[in-house]
Amino acid sequence: MDKKIQSVRLTEIFLTFAKIGLTGFGGGMAIVALVERICVKEKRWITSEEFLHGLAFGQILGPFSLNVCTFTGHHLRGIRGGITAAVGFILPSFLLVSLLSWIYFTYNELPQLQAALKGTNPVIIGLILVVAMDMGRKQIKGAGSVLMALAAFAATVFLQLNAAWVLLAAALWSLCESIFRRRLS
Amino acid sequence: MTSLLTLAWIYFRIGLIFVGGGYVLIPLLNHIMVDQYHWLTLREFLDGLALSQLTPGPLAMLATFTGFRAGGFPGALIATVFIFLPCVTLMLVVGRNYDRLKNIDIISSTLDGLLPAVVGLVAAAAWNLGASSLSGTKEFIVLLIGFAIFKWTSVSPMVVIIGAGLVGLLIN
Repeated sequence: MDKKIQSVRLTEIFLTFAKIGLTGFGGGMAIVALVERICVKEKRWITSEEFLHGLAFGQILGPFSLNVCTFTGHHLRGIRGGITAAVGFILPSFLLVSLLSWIYFTYNELPQLQAALKGTNPVIIGLILVVAMDMGRKQIKGAGSVLMALAAFAATVFLQLNAAWVLLAAALWSLCESIFRRRLS
Repeated sequence: MTSLLTLAWIYFRIGLIFVGGGYVLIPLLNHIMVDQYHWLTLREFLDGLALSQLTPGPLAMLATFTGFRAGGFPGALIATVFIFLPCVTLMLVVGRNYDRLKNIDIISSTLDGLLPAVVGLVAAAAWNLGASSLSGTKEFIVLLIGFAIFKWTSVSPMVVIIGAGLVGLLIN
């Protein structure tokens, strides 16, 4: 880890991920897109490749929105950085959900927030699309990788396969390819 | 009231299964909370699910809601900490070994080789979210405006998302 990265303060990590947690509407990939935009593009805390590796691990290990935050925080400041990022990310949602749960169980009413989501959801789709295009331009080169991206897309959208299995299959394919290429050379 | 220790143990176990794949979380929580422990009625569970979708953060914040029902604020805290404990620990282990693994040739080329699939999954998420939430012209216009802002300006995404929420409240 180089010195520039070491100098990111824990408070800055905490505040950044708390802001992400506070605006992370729309679930898993919406949050990942936000983290990519802020940590890769704006702050240059982690390279695009490293971030995507973290995302791959994170998807295999369950709740990937939290996992990419932990991974990025760890990349910056080790174990303490990872824990700081995870806590910072979860804390705003935790406080909000606790408050709303209290209101719900006391008054038996849900807040009428659906209208707000009608505005945020389309914008989040726009954000995910832009992030996917940015990632694609960097990572998808050559026919083989176009095919792999399309296959992963189709497997999730049309066959409704679990992302973790799609990634494990891609990893296996990629491993075979690496071994094969090594044999040739 | 259920003891906090029991709560911690229950959510920790859910967290461990969660690591195998986030998609089993909803049926699993439903089974444990509604059928097994009778902490919530099915209706409360479904309302909680809607609430976790309305609020920012991962869907697993459903743990906070159910924990709150089972043990008040301390219950919510214990539930949240323990459901996320296994995956945070594992990700820290991955992070610690990542730099070393990355230097092993065969592993780094395998990791790089699967990146197109990750990109495909990101695009698929946009597709799925669109299929479930784009219903009219208004939404498409908001989508196009959002896309243009993210593509050609560097306005902070938080500002855009909060602004879009306000627009949503106004136009609906």
